[in-house]
Amino acid sequence: MTVLEADARAATEEIFDLRRRLAEAQQAHAEEVRRNQAFSRIAAAIGAHQSLSETVQAVIDGGVELIGAQFGAFFYNVIDRAGESYMLYGLAGAPDEAFANFPMPRKTAIFAPTFDGAGVVRSDDVLADPRYGKNTPNQGMPEGHLPVRSYLAAPVKTADGLVLGGLFFGHREPARFDSRAETVIMGLAAQAAVAIEWNRAGEAGDRELTERRRAEERLKFALDSGRLGSWELDVETRAYDASDICRSNYGRGPDQDFGFDDLVATIHASDRDRMLAAMDEAIRTGGEYDIEYRVVIPSGETRWVHARGRAAVRDEPLIGGGVRRMAGVSLDVTERKRAEERQRLLLNELNHRVKNTLVTVQSMAAQTLRAASDLPAFREAFEARLIALSQTHNLLTEQNWESASLREIVDAELEAFGGRERLDFDYARDLRLNPKATVAVGMAVHELATNAAKYGALSTPGGRVSIAWSTEPASPETSARLRLRWTESGGPPVPPPTRRGFGARLLEKGLAGELSGVVRLAYDQSGLVCAMTLPLAALEP
Amino acid sequence: MKTLAALKVLVVEDEALVSMLVEDMLGDLGCEVVGPAAEIEEALRLAGSAEIDAALLDVNLGGRPIFPVADALKARGVPFAFASGYGEAGLTEPHKGSAVLQKPFREADLRRVLEGLAAQVV
Repeated sequence: MTVLEADARAATEEIFDLRRRLAEAQQAHAEEVRRNQAFSRIAAAIGAHQSLSETVQAVIDGGVELIGAQFGAFFYNVIDRAGESYMLYGLAGAPDEAFANFPMPRKTAIFAPTFDGAGVVRSDDVLADPRYGKNTPNQGMPEGHLPVRSYLAAPVKTADGLVLGGLFFGHREPARFDSRAETVIMGLAAQAAVAIEWNRAGEAGDRELTERRRAEERLKFALDSGRLGSWELDVETRAYDASDICRSNYGRGPDQDFGFDDLVATIHASDRDRMLAAMDEAIRTGGEYDIEYRVVIPSGETRWVHARGRAAVRDEPLIGGGVRRMAGVSLDVTERKRAEERQRLLLNELNHRVKNTLVTVQSMAAQTLRAASDLPAFREAFEARLIALSQTHNLLTEQNWESASLREIVDAELEAFGGRERLDFDYARDLRLNPKATVAVGMAVHELATNAAKYGALSTPGGRVSIAWSTEPASPETSARLRLRWTESGGPPVPPPTRRGFGARLLEKGLAGELSGVVRLAYDQSGLVCAMTLPLAALEP
Repeated sequence: MKTLAALKVLVVEDEALVSMLVEDMLGDLGCEVVGPAAEIEEALRLAGSAEIDAALLDVNLGGRPIFPVADALKARGVPFAFASGYGEAGLTEPHKGSAVLQKPFREADLRRVLEGLAAQVV
């Protein structure tokens, strides 16, 4: 071979070599580009804010693709009450069943660096790794495990060191994962950590948001159920925000303007200064605002509102001598106020009645004493009158102190004197009397019956009493009236009394005066006759 | 200034037993009873025109307040006292401070109140 030939061959070989190196470089470049494209595609998938399991799957699939692994797995930590536990996992390159029958990996010698977050474990042949097979019960991979020789594992941990889980890759042949693969997986693990942390934060945020919504719904339900309105006031700007129920407490619809000035204007003029003073006090001291006031709603109706509130943020320091915001509730208490007013009137009315009754009893005692010949006579007459008064009260109490019937009054007062047997009375008809007339007529009938029992028709076995009554409609001369006639018969002749006793005075003057009528007593030979003419207007309930 | 003897006292009271008691007490004190009136209309008539030195007014006359009668007496310069189970609490604002005879009352209480009224009679 000539020198020329040798040169030509060398040149040719050099060209071939250059071509081969060029092809190799191009292939390596293409591989690098492909890998980079894959990495960014995978990084995008991981960072796409999907669900946790989707993120995990993107990490494993990406890892398998990037380093040419046969199997990939991601065991991620879920802390249960017992402590550490790796409960969940994702797989690539093997069906889910490949691990389904194995217990979750424990912190064995080979796994510990991963789950403790110590660092990457890469082994060309895991079966030869000094850390492998050191733990009972399996002393290595359990029976039926995927055949792993090349092994690469990296912890997935957050920036502040919290281990979220571990990424594991395997290949059935040894020495498949180089240092480059290790770098790739470390990058992937960092990506995964960020994605998972983001995902968890998102879930926690969602949970918090849901929890807040629920709490708000519960609060709204509670407020609505109690017809409680809620409000908030910006103390500086006087911006006032009121719920629908709060607005309705002030007679405003949900769509009507209702600002702080409207609120103040709605409050009854007599209560306004008190309300403003209470609010200023609460703002200045950060104390409770608790007040009841009248409001005059746009329809003109006056209602009562109970408003309560305090500094919106309790721990917020007082600024410039006052709080920044106030929040509170409002409740329409009109019904309660009306009930209280009714109660107060009722109590006053009761007091009035009791006091009047006491004076009545005082009067009866004084009158009875004037006429009584001795103390036993006083006691007998006084007790009888007291019981007669009590009977009329019983009848009125049965009817809610609204009225009593003439028939019942007659029955009650004559019961002690033989009752119906010696009485001619038309029980088929009846007339209702107001409380005042009930007491007056009841006491009158009692006095007549007592007198009859002592001196008149009821003092002898054959005597009788007739009570006849009728009503007369109004005429041009007189108003409508009741005519009632008490007639005794069959008793001893009754001479007119030498001096007018309590009974006669009560009937002729008292009853007539009280009921604006006329009462006449006639001492007839056959017995006493009492004729009453009383205007119905004074009797009717 | 007048003494109780022959003092003409208008009594407005709608319950017979109560007005009988008041009449008796006033009689014992030597006063002359005008009325008793059991109705507002009658009371107003007497308050406006009857010859009276003083008046004793039941606050509640069959459910109707007595105050128009009090106003008529005030206009005429006739001193009066309210008789009430409520005490002063039963009075409306313009009449707070008026003499009040709390029911039930003793004759001595009535005398004291009447002496106060008689002192105002010119």
